[in-house]
Amino acid sequence: MAVILVVEDDVFIREIAEMMIQDWGHHTLSASDVDEALSLLRSPQHIDALFTDIYLKTAVLGGCELAHQAIKLRPKLRVLYTTGNSVTDKMKTLFVEGTHFLSKPYTKHQLQDSFGDLLAT
Amino acid sequence: MSYIALGEKAVSDIAASDIVETVPSALIILDRNLNITSANRAFYQTFRTSADETEGCHIYDLGNRQWDIPALRTLLESVIPHRASVEGFEVEHNFPTIGRRTMLVNARKIFRPGDHDGFILLAIEDVSEERAARKESKRNWQLTQSIVDTIRDPLVVLEQDMTIVTASKAFLTIFGITEADARGRCFSELGQHQWDVPALRHLMEKVLPENKPIEGFEIEDNFPGLGRRVFNLNARKIFQPGNHTHRMLLVFEDITDRKQRERDAQMLTNEISHRIKNNLQVIVGLIAYEARSTAQPCVQGYKAMEARIGAIAQLYDLISQSSRGRTIAVDAYLRQIAQTMSGSLLGNTPGIKIEVKAEALDIDPDRAVAFGLLVNELATNAIKHAFPDGTGRVVLSVEQVNDQIELTVADDGVGIKNKDSTKIPEKRGSDYVAMFVRQLGGTIAPSGSEETGTIVRIRLPLLLVPPWGAGRVAA
Repeated sequence: MAVILVVEDDVFIREIAEMMIQDWGHHTLSASDVDEALSLLRSPQHIDALFTDIYLKTAVLGGCELAHQAIKLRPKLRVLYTTGNSVTDKMKTLFVEGTHFLSKPYTKHQLQDSFGDLLAT
Repeated sequence: MSYIALGEKAVSDIAASDIVETVPSALIILDRNLNITSANRAFYQTFRTSADETEGCHIYDLGNRQWDIPALRTLLESVIPHRASVEGFEVEHNFPTIGRRTMLVNARKIFRPGDHDGFILLAIEDVSEERAARKESKRNWQLTQSIVDTIRDPLVVLEQDMTIVTASKAFLTIFGITEADARGRCFSELGQHQWDVPALRHLMEKVLPENKPIEGFEIEDNFPGLGRRVFNLNARKIFQPGNHTHRMLLVFEDITDRKQRERDAQMLTNEISHRIKNNLQVIVGLIAYEARSTAQPCVQGYKAMEARIGAIAQLYDLISQSSRGRTIAVDAYLRQIAQTMSGSLLGNTPGIKIEVKAEALDIDPDRAVAFGLLVNELATNAIKHAFPDGTGRVVLSVEQVNDQIELTVADDGVGIKNKDSTKIPEKRGSDYVAMFVRQLGGTIAPSGSEETGTIVRIRLPLLLVPPWGAGRVAA
């Protein structure tokens, strides 16, 4: 079972996502912004994957910035982005190489499939 | 008939006389008293006279004194006596026989051994048409320049080597350069080399040789005195009939304000789309939460609900992908719906495939949600009922049939016993299909009987592009 860090500024969406992930037997950690997430990533806590919203409160591309810093801290970390915005080519250039993307609204099965692909890499 | 005197001539002189008779310029020889001693064929033809009327006649008396021209007098009496030759002396005169003409006169003194008085050879070329064409060209150029100067958008005319032939006043004013600075200067060297863009240069190099216009090439940069601006460049080949020189007209449209409005609209659209999709995510989350404690037979209903929400969400994706989009590309919309359904409904049945065959058709956003939900409902019905063994194919297709859009959802499944396709939605337990078809102003078209599977055809009015825009939103 994996440990997933869920970064989402909308409390309800974050908790539902955690619930879905926990239903498959994974353990979750959560953060609502970049700073909270980085605190966890800098801690000794084991984390296998980062599931982050791109648009975080006032940081329009906060999730992209977070992923870059997260990979510097933990190079083997797997990253799954999500956003309600459409993903532009410009946004894709900000993605960390080899990461995955899931658009909102995502269903439980879509999230499960995405994590299946993510954790299999 | 006596032409230019030959006398006792050598063979080489005879050849010279042939040349004299052949050249297109009118030639006459005058003695020191300005009497005509001879003339060539071109002279007689040009001035509609003959040797009898010409030879021995004083130049000023010729043809009712039509050659008694002040300018010619000046040449013959004041210039020639002091110079051995004169070239390009232009005489404009209204000749009674041939009308107003411009003549180019070359004069040369000819001396023979022992003859100190000598003769004057006049070569007269009628350049009237050339001069008229030149005047016309100048008038055209002035007219063109006047038009160019009244156009608000800056524009320049370039030679093939990309040097500036002329620039409009708007161009000179906006870019803060003088006409003298602009003329002859290479276009790419203007300003701070903002126009020296490889992609633009590549396109410009094709305008003249390949007659390939440039349409809407955008450049955004900081321009001295203007600040950050966005220009839309259009270029095309220009030429005048009869003139082999081709040039390029390059027009600069300042679209900074329009671009900003588009960006603002795009930002607003993205923001709204983001909020809507977050709200849809909340709804999907609620469904997922409910589904956890629901009996298995009901789970399929929740999944169908998720797919419907997904179909609506895809629409906002398509809208937000274009700042000017006012219509929805049906083909792209179908593909996205199919992709969403594959993710949400086919998770446990990978043997069922959804394919899309669609023409490039547009629908307006007002009816796009109903269209998306209709497709979703028909495809969901097929997936739910057509493949009890979990394998098969569903094809979503749209095509234009006369003034209608025909949406077809076909499967190669087990089919249904009653082939009355107008009752298919009800048989499949979905009232939604009939409701969405009514909302779209469409009809369920009868389908022919198939050996296997089911085909549902829906005819919808060809949805018109709304009057406020024509941008097509595509994936």
